[in-house]
Amino acid sequence: MSLCRGAPFSTKMDSFQGLAYGLGVAFSGSNLLACFFGVLVGTLVGVLPGIGPIGAMALLIPSTFALGPTAALIMLAGIFYGSMYGGSTTSILVNVPGEAASVIATIDGYQMARKGRGGAALTVSAVGSFVAGTLGILALMLFAPPLAKVAVEFGPPEYFALMLTGLISLSQLGGGGSLGRSFLMVVFGLLLGTVGMEPISGLPRFTFGQLQLAQGVALVPVAMGLYGIAEVLVIAERITGIPDMIKVKLRELFPTAAEWKRAFPPIFRGAGVGFFFGLIPGPAAILATFSSYTIEKRISKHPEEFGKGAIEGVAGPEAANNSAMGGTMVPLLALGVPFDPVTAILLGALMIHGILPGPLLLRQHPEIFWGVVASMYIGNVMLLILNLPLVGVFASILRLPQHLLMGFILILCLVGTYSVNNSFLDIYILIGMGVIGYVLRKLNFNLAPVLLGLVLGPMFEKALCQSLIMYRGDVWGIISRPLTAALLLIGAAIIVLPRLFRLFKGMKTKNS
Amino acid sequence: MNIALATTYFCFLLLGGFYLIGSLEIPLGSADQPGAGAYPFLIGITLLAFSFPLFVNSLRKGLPKERGEAFPKGKNLKRVLSVASALILFAVFLKPLGYGICSAALMGAILKLLGLRSWGKIVPISILTAAVSYYLFAFLDVPLPRGTLFY
Repeated sequence: MSLCRGAPFSTKMDSFQGLAYGLGVAFSGSNLLACFFGVLVGTLVGVLPGIGPIGAMALLIPSTFALGPTAALIMLAGIFYGSMYGGSTTSILVNVPGEAASVIATIDGYQMARKGRGGAALTVSAVGSFVAGTLGILALMLFAPPLAKVAVEFGPPEYFALMLTGLISLSQLGGGGSLGRSFLMVVFGLLLGTVGMEPISGLPRFTFGQLQLAQGVALVPVAMGLYGIAEVLVIAERITGIPDMIKVKLRELFPTAAEWKRAFPPIFRGAGVGFFFGLIPGPAAILATFSSYTIEKRISKHPEEFGKGAIEGVAGPEAANNSAMGGTMVPLLALGVPFDPVTAILLGALMIHGILPGPLLLRQHPEIFWGVVASMYIGNVMLLILNLPLVGVFASILRLPQHLLMGFILILCLVGTYSVNNSFLDIYILIGMGVIGYVLRKLNFNLAPVLLGLVLGPMFEKALCQSLIMYRGDVWGIISRPLTAALLLIGAAIIVLPRLFRLFKGMKTKNS
Repeated sequence: MNIALATTYFCFLLLGGFYLIGSLEIPLGSADQPGAGAYPFLIGITLLAFSFPLFVNSLRKGLPKERGEAFPKGKNLKRVLSVASALILFAVFLKPLGYGICSAALMGAILKLLGLRSWGKIVPISILTAAVSYYLFAFLDVPLPRGTLFY
């Protein structure tokens, strides 16, 4: 709180003043420790298969109760971008991606490692992640405050349209089959979000007489079930041995001048691509890596080297997935609306700490906004220092036997879930969501909309009902507000345009 | 026809039906003053509207199967079901038996199911995991259930 009192007037604070203030917040003892712990756990989570960044973040929400909201957000954000660094280590050395956004690094990164250039791939990946992560944060710092300033004028109809468009976009871009299947997941998430007290009147709904359900279905058991327990069940299907790992010596970590020359342009392009995808609702880090790889392959003078160990195929995507983090934080910190499961967890954590995110966050809690932004700079430096010399240590964690690892993960999921509300019901919800998540994953459903629907559901309902009350039930009045109409048109275009393009392409092929 | 997919869509259809009926028991209100049941009513209708055509489509013969991994069979299926059952048993017995016994038993079951054969290793690892996690969470001020049968 003393830091809050020391805050300059945030409304008049420009981005660089804000950053200086944020550095003061982030360098304070507990926040710095939270940042270090976050990036360390993130790196471990990125290395290990079985628990991804979303599961780990949900799992550690209860442990943030003792911390303030700033330290909590710093730690949870650190887990996410830390996992991006860790994920590439195992992709390059073992050909096993620790999390989905590192899949692309297995293509050229592993090939480089087989040719004895694994050290160079790791360094380019770490430096690229650092440069792009820093550029992403810089862009976040410049984009979010003006957007928050505009968003103060948003009314419930604009928020309703924004969330609807976000959910549509996530369904369209998130994969998982047809649009109908993706929407089914969105609606399932929204349905879970209706359990508990209605946001305006406070009337309990679908609680089946359970007092614990009056507060709604908690985020932690759902996230842990869908992303933690379901993953353990998938791994339980087949027992695998300990993977072979390519060893890298310290002196092999330095890329040659030619490799640096080839790597830097993709890093900068990847940073731009990543930030752009971060702004769009959807699995930003994954989309960004695939897009960056495609772009690099298309514009490369040596496209034939891709898939056989092209350094551009490592530098671009690894930069993109880190920069995406900065982009995804823009709607969360400026509007209070998450557009992917990671920021949904961050929003959930803020709400558990009694902070209502939104455009006023910057004005009311500058220590959170600027503290988190500045901690991301510090976290990126920590990750660079941690990841290069300790790469062998992190990769050797994969030697931990699978039965031991899965047992620990299950125990952590169960205790972590119980500890949020000391609730036995939450344990049943965790296991139920785990089984549902397993079945849905096997059937190739996209699970991200379920989580996002659960978090956005109550906000979405509140915005819709307030809009209807404001306009006395006149739907046309709501949708004819200029910004609302524009946002809804974007949502409609996201659904219609790809289908129109496919139709025209089909007709063209038929004619030719 | 993909039986697993058809069953999943049917479950969503059932969920939508029950949910819609449930929403009718809550005041719906009007367009200018929506009640607490209005939004769930809309969600129920939407869930039915999406799941019904998907369910019907999944029943049609000759359609290409939706992409997805095959469900495990034989021993692998047995292992997945055993892990899920161990979790359910943990949840059921947590309150009466307490965290210590349940977590040790769960850890032991997981170690055995996922390939550790030696009981000489399973027993000490399970007990140690239960004890360390219990005291670790106690240290973090998280009280874990001690078992209503004993306390």
